[in-house]
Amino acid sequence: MDKQYFLDIFNVTVPQMERLTSTALARGGDWSDLYFENTVYGDLLLKDGQVTSGGLHTDFGIGIRVLSGEKTGYAYSENTAPEDMEDAAGAASLIASGYTGSRGFRRTDRETAGKTCGSGLLYPETEAWSLTQASTLVPFLEKLQERIMSLDNRVIKVIARLSYSHSDIMMFNSCGEMACDSRPMGSVTASVIFSDGTRNENKTASRSFRCGAELLSDSLLEELAAEAVKGIDARFGARRPKGGRMPVVMGAGASGILLHEAMGHAFEADFNRKGQSVFSGKMGQKVCDSSISIVDDGTIPGNRGACSYDDEGVPGQKTYMVKDGILNSYLHDRISAKWYGVSPTGNGRRESFRYNPIPRMRATYMESGTASPEDIIASVRKGIYVDEFSNGQVKIGEGDFTFYVKSGYMIEDGKLTAPVKDINIIGNGPQALADIVCVGNDMKIDNGTWTCGKEQSVPVSCGIPTVMVKSLTVGGE
Amino acid sequence: MCMEYGMSIGASRMRVSLSKSILDSFSLLNGELDKVTHSADRSLFLYIFADGRYGTFSTNNFSHGQLRQFIAKAIDTVRMLAKDPCRKLPDPERTAKDALTGKELKLYDSEYQDITPEQRLKEAMDASMFRTMEPTAEYTVISEECEYSDSVDDNIVMDTEGFCGRHTETSFAICSEVTIQDNGGRKLSGYWWESSPFLSSLETGGCSRTALEKAAGKIGPKRHRGGSFRMVVDRSVSSRLASPLFSALNGTAIQQKNSFLDGTLGKKIFSEDLTIMDMARTEGRPGSRLFDTEGVATADRPIIENGSVKMYFINTYIAGKTGMQPTVEGVSRPVIKPFIKEDALPEKEKGCLSEEFEINLPRILRLCGSGIYVTGFNGGNCNPVTGDFSYGIEGFAFCNGKITHPIREMVVTGNMVSLWNSIIAAGSDARECTRWQIPTLAFDKADFSA
Repeated sequence: MDKQYFLDIFNVTVPQMERLTSTALARGGDWSDLYFENTVYGDLLLKDGQVTSGGLHTDFGIGIRVLSGEKTGYAYSENTAPEDMEDAAGAASLIASGYTGSRGFRRTDRETAGKTCGSGLLYPETEAWSLTQASTLVPFLEKLQERIMSLDNRVIKVIARLSYSHSDIMMFNSCGEMACDSRPMGSVTASVIFSDGTRNENKTASRSFRCGAELLSDSLLEELAAEAVKGIDARFGARRPKGGRMPVVMGAGASGILLHEAMGHAFEADFNRKGQSVFSGKMGQKVCDSSISIVDDGTIPGNRGACSYDDEGVPGQKTYMVKDGILNSYLHDRISAKWYGVSPTGNGRRESFRYNPIPRMRATYMESGTASPEDIIASVRKGIYVDEFSNGQVKIGEGDFTFYVKSGYMIEDGKLTAPVKDINIIGNGPQALADIVCVGNDMKIDNGTWTCGKEQSVPVSCGIPTVMVKSLTVGGE
Repeated sequence: MCMEYGMSIGASRMRVSLSKSILDSFSLLNGELDKVTHSADRSLFLYIFADGRYGTFSTNNFSHGQLRQFIAKAIDTVRMLAKDPCRKLPDPERTAKDALTGKELKLYDSEYQDITPEQRLKEAMDASMFRTMEPTAEYTVISEECEYSDSVDDNIVMDTEGFCGRHTETSFAICSEVTIQDNGGRKLSGYWWESSPFLSSLETGGCSRTALEKAAGKIGPKRHRGGSFRMVVDRSVSSRLASPLFSALNGTAIQQKNSFLDGTLGKKIFSEDLTIMDMARTEGRPGSRLFDTEGVATADRPIIENGSVKMYFINTYIAGKTGMQPTVEGVSRPVIKPFIKEDALPEKEKGCLSEEFEINLPRILRLCGSGIYVTGFNGGNCNPVTGDFSYGIEGFAFCNGKITHPIREMVVTGNMVSLWNSIIAAGSDARECTRWQIPTLAFDKADFSA
């Protein structure tokens, strides 16, 4: 990364940033850092057959954080005029008033943080969004609509959206370390409404990657169109089944959202540091079958959750939360890493310069096992197969979760039978993890437009192989 | 300047919305200061109409040179989109003329300007009760997170048809989350909040106590059998059931055939007792506004009256697309009229109910006798096209009007139209601090599974 490129964008110098971190620590405290952001975001919307609305948005500013032990002071400025940045540093420093310091940050925290990925490797932007005219993007949405309508004559409406962004990020801390990152993102979503003449059904398909306008390929168009109409026959024929406790088989890919919500959040170190997580104090303990390993990975090239650096300047990493059934690591930002006496795991993320970083997931998935998906389904006499969830919610302390089933089937005598809809799966995260009795060999990352909303919105992705949970509550008739 | 410049380089119409907001918060963890945040935001939204085309743009970079470049680029972008004759500014006859100072609705507390960091810390400390939370035979307290915040939001909207409106409001809030551990090692959390446009009306004391009571109330949950029961929904979460109605009444959903209330305007499809008003112009109450995002004047008017759908939320664009009469863009401050269905009343109370009669939770629980009292929704969804819903719930079983035990792993399923047809009571106890005035609600024969 050309550091001067970033210094020029934000119109600051290294000595100026050094002074700013000193100002932030003037009242005391252990650590201060600066987070500069310049984001340009654009979108185009196709509705009623034409791309008739679109926009462009810019966001620019600097966030200043002071840490005093585990306490946080945070303020920001929407410009980088020296006096405004000094004011923000003064506001952030309030946290340290009267504080004498305890466990100071050391360079070694950074040095042990892991291997730098290098943003050039993780998300190259071959065709920069900033150099791409909106007029060249419009035809993609028009072709997508045309293709979707050609695949199913029940389609009555297509709403297609393209959103794209590029963020230039520069981070500097009171140890004098500087990290820079250029983060592209492109997302396409197609929402389709179908009618069979008597009633309507809807379906959505999306793809999102950290990449440039090269995203908009013919293969992406075909993939999205096919997914937008896939399973719609089943949806028209789906019914709400009889509920009860039964085995639940989760299909590979998008079911990974359950892993993210029901288990992943409970591994985030802030909840554990405060004693609120169901996994607090269980490091090194067996939490599930030894065939299971769960990963949070910021190093998948082009992935929506990829981070060359997190938003504290810590290099992106691959972190095993559960390794061979044993709780191996929480997901740390700098605060929790220091508190636990470990290296940060590159999970300190934030929505924008307006927010202080907190532990967040990136791409969360379960590694493949050995069973074939067909054998897993064949082993169930009576249960539910789910291949798409939405609207999940989890209670971090209790671990209780509820997920809405968007798409699934009954399993009867080892075979997929009637399609089901409008039901919820209810359970307890750690219990469900412990109740996984079979892991498929077909792990798949879902590249939809997943966004995690814990206090702030950050892009993530998720994945899972086909797995069977031996018993969960299915809410039906 | 923005509008002048935009019009000079090719825009045919423009609307500009300028917002500024400041938020300060002091957060405590276990009674000690944990986080101090100061946020000062500004944003400029540009709605540009050019050559029969339309686009929306925003920036927080206000330097003149940058802004002119941005507007020029925005207009270039608009020109690349398809023409859409329905994109127009609202008719000047429909825009608000009475939002001149921003303070007409009395949502601004001048005391805001004088608050010091020390006062903010004191408010947070006053709300905390961690130091006095003693372990009991049933639980130990794991953590208490308590946050005081205050904010001011100032928004000015102008358009090239001559509209100019301003809305200013302050907000003061306190929230608390308490996590406990029961004797079985199970962690349970409770959350509560209070807010007001006025500092003097903010009740800080008691917030953590309520959160603790909510956490402790969850100890000892039991699985309850599924079936068809009366459902009472607490006023703190009842808006979850009202939200799909307002989404389905939105003009965009109607126009896109993505609404289960498409084709119901003017028709009676809900219970005769159900009346929901949009009381957008009530002074001093959160949610009130004199104009919508287009600048169109709001009005106090019925959304659903005696079970009939009285309005869709139709903005200028959707009006053009559908030929329907424009109304306002979205709901402002919905208020459900309190009632108890006559045939649900005990014989001795029939005909005795006056408008002043208080309808609160204990009364509704007594009225319903037995069933499920819902205090939280956990996941789930409502299909916008069909209105079919399925929500995970938390709460309590009740019998003879008394709460018996917390329940676990239950879902309620049904259809929104059927549900709102089965409503038997709406309380007079909506929380004043909420923008949507949705009170305690009671429904007959809701389907639960477990």
